[in-house]
Amino acid sequence: MSRLKRRTALALSVTAGLALVAAGCGGDGDSTGLPADEQSPAGAGSPSGAGDGIRLGILGQCEGPFGGFHEDVVAGTTLALARFAGATPNSTTSALEGFSGAEVAGTPIELVGIGCGDDTADRIVQEVRRLVEQLGANVIIGPLSGDEGIAIAEYAKANPELTVFAGISGSQEQTLQVQAPNYFRFYGDGAIWSAGLGDLLHNQEGWDTVAVIADDYSFGHTSAAGFVADFCAVGGEVTHRVFPPLGTTDYSSYIAQLPNPDEVDGYFWAVGGTGTQAALEAFVNGKGDLTGDQHAGNLFFNPDLAQALGTDIAGAYVGGFATLPADVRTPEIEEYLAAADETWETIPGSLSGNEPAPPSVAAAFGFFYGYYTAGVALVESLEAVGGDISDLDAFHEVIAGLALDLPYGDIGLDENRSGVVDVGLSRLVLDESGEVVQETVAIVPGVDQTFGGTFSPDTPSPGRDFPACEERELPWVGNAIPVVDGVPQS
Amino acid sequence: MNLRPRLTGETLALAVLVLFLVLLPSLATAFFVNFVMTQTLILGLAAATIVFLAKYGGMTSLAQLLMFGVAGFMFGNAALEGGARGLNLGWHPWAAVGFAIVVTTLAAFVLGAIASRTTGIYFLMLTLVYGVIGYFVFAQIVEISGPGGITSIQRPDLLGPPVRLYYAGLLLSVLAYVGFRAIRRTAFGLALQGVRDDPVRMASLGFNVPLHRALAFTLAGFVAGLAGLLNVWWNGQIDPASISIGPTLILLIIAVIGGISSLGGAWLGAFVYVLVFTYLRDLPLVDRIGITEARFNTVIGVIVLAIMVLSPEGLTGIIQRLRGRLRRRAATEPAPSDGRSLPVHTTQKELGGTRS
Repeated sequence: MSRLKRRTALALSVTAGLALVAAGCGGDGDSTGLPADEQSPAGAGSPSGAGDGIRLGILGQCEGPFGGFHEDVVAGTTLALARFAGATPNSTTSALEGFSGAEVAGTPIELVGIGCGDDTADRIVQEVRRLVEQLGANVIIGPLSGDEGIAIAEYAKANPELTVFAGISGSQEQTLQVQAPNYFRFYGDGAIWSAGLGDLLHNQEGWDTVAVIADDYSFGHTSAAGFVADFCAVGGEVTHRVFPPLGTTDYSSYIAQLPNPDEVDGYFWAVGGTGTQAALEAFVNGKGDLTGDQHAGNLFFNPDLAQALGTDIAGAYVGGFATLPADVRTPEIEEYLAAADETWETIPGSLSGNEPAPPSVAAAFGFFYGYYTAGVALVESLEAVGGDISDLDAFHEVIAGLALDLPYGDIGLDENRSGVVDVGLSRLVLDESGEVVQETVAIVPGVDQTFGGTFSPDTPSPGRDFPACEERELPWVGNAIPVVDGVPQS
Repeated sequence: MNLRPRLTGETLALAVLVLFLVLLPSLATAFFVNFVMTQTLILGLAAATIVFLAKYGGMTSLAQLLMFGVAGFMFGNAALEGGARGLNLGWHPWAAVGFAIVVTTLAAFVLGAIASRTTGIYFLMLTLVYGVIGYFVFAQIVEISGPGGITSIQRPDLLGPPVRLYYAGLLLSVLAYVGFRAIRRTAFGLALQGVRDDPVRMASLGFNVPLHRALAFTLAGFVAGLAGLLNVWWNGQIDPASISIGPTLILLIIAVIGGISSLGGAWLGAFVYVLVFTYLRDLPLVDRIGITEARFNTVIGVIVLAIMVLSPEGLTGIIQRLRGRLRRRAATEPAPSDGRSLPVHTTQKELGGTRS
């Protein structure tokens, strides 16, 4: 028996040895076996073959905290291609059905697949590998969320034949630290969207001390870092930094770590998704009633919070996002929103609770818009190279040099291929009917992600302790353009 | 000599399977090999440690993914140099491999020693606690986990081309399979099975029951650590969410799908899991019946439920039953009028599970 077992083991060992030998041979014979070389995306199982067309994959999130935005983000890219590349959506009530007929300068754009993330880096890497390695995508638009952006930027770096236009992922590192030459972000990051808020709160509202509470992951860190850098640059002091884990439901223990309202001038919140309301409710329970004047938040502060928290939230300042609040209406914005309404009858976006609603509802919010800007960038870059992407370096160079004229402001890229953008700051106020609405108060022009040297490829990533609270010169301090009744006063 | 049929049957089938897997890269697409099969081998290797502990030690562990993650994090911390994430020790990749394995094995020994006096549901709960605590350790102590995970993890040069990673997974899987099966015939393995069946009697015979359990847990942790290394090389990154409660349960589910009393079932379960996640959405009209990407976990749940009801021994149990039925049919072939054969019971006494 034992002899037979030994023979079994021997037989299997020999087979395993053969495996190694084969691996060695395979490696030698196939020295171009690196991921980048093995997977020729345009060729792998491509029905249109040849590699001269754009095989587009979109990375969204159908699960996780931002799963509700899946429809929004795919619709964003689809709208860009419908407006400028002749695409026709396959459905009038959903973008997830895909589109057909997209073509720029004679180059067809085919949607090969939509990736489904769940807000984790592991999953998004598997989804992008499926799009690229199985379905043969050569251009990716996405992803949506902070940690995903870093993972996809790393993937892009390891796969130089790929071209990635980031969707709306707001972590700083994906461009500043990773620096993949084929990864482009035509919008700001979490820190950029907080720019100007500190200046406004310190110099206009008279806040000297502030406590910061933010989600404990890359986007929360980045958002908090932008605010800290901005507020401290103009002379403010951050007394507390509290970081609850993403997905916390009971925030009471974190609220307990914050100072009482009489101990600081105000609070900055970068708690997102379902956590925003839960955290503010915990604050009401732990620290007493809200007074909007004492609070500021990043993009997750919105008028809907008033439904649960009451109108006391009015007075709070809100950082920027990719779009501007509804009170600002330029002809370009009107045209953009009208185009969305013409493209579909309804879109079940997140802002309408994933119920059918006019597409312009989704289009006016940053998640949709970020993916829209990526789609516009793809179209414009293809036009610039005459539809010929055979020389990838030239194609990437063109993308890096694009200056997009977009409905919510012009966007160009910095040397790390990250957007230099205008940031719209707003405030929650009561309108005549006593409803809480969002009103734009200022636009901070030309914000880039370095914050006057606070952040660079050599500094640590934004984290719980970084950046330190230091005074410094910021290029945009004092340059904010006031907005009155939705009209910039430039 | 009557054992020869076993040699030519099961073992030969296994050897043919391994040979097929060796030749697979020249038969299948790069995606199937480098994505589907490599992930299958990695998850199978990790799930096999759950099966090993359950089958031979009577311990159902939920801490195996933690061991998998510890190895990944330790390798990332040791191997990376520069950048904003982790300790950035910048060691030689193979030194980092050694470091990761040593730390993982030590952690497994300590955790195994603490858990060694519990059995059954208490062991399951304790290892679940390990998994949860491990997740929070990495989520909170950002110096060793990022912050937000360790990215840009490179493979050692030897494993550069992805197909070599596949072969590494295959080699380690074969070695683990053979090794785990060989162990059951060793003095340690026999004692471990004795501990599984009757710890009191084994203790009265002078065996150190907790030590056997702790050593089995350590061995399983070591192998799970190897799978964890393959995983970070395959995935290029690891973050605390990679070892959160969801993936922890997925690994147990993989073992259950394959059959928690069958070592080979671990890889079978992993294969089914990866297939569902990769290809289910490509089936025509599948989204019309509401099975979209967001519902994959539901599909996996239904599969697990069906398997639990139809065959508690998992897919391998179903395969064994079919084989038994075929064998009986072959045996009764001279009298085909016999009609339907009686159900064949191939009940396995070695099932560990929650035995206490």
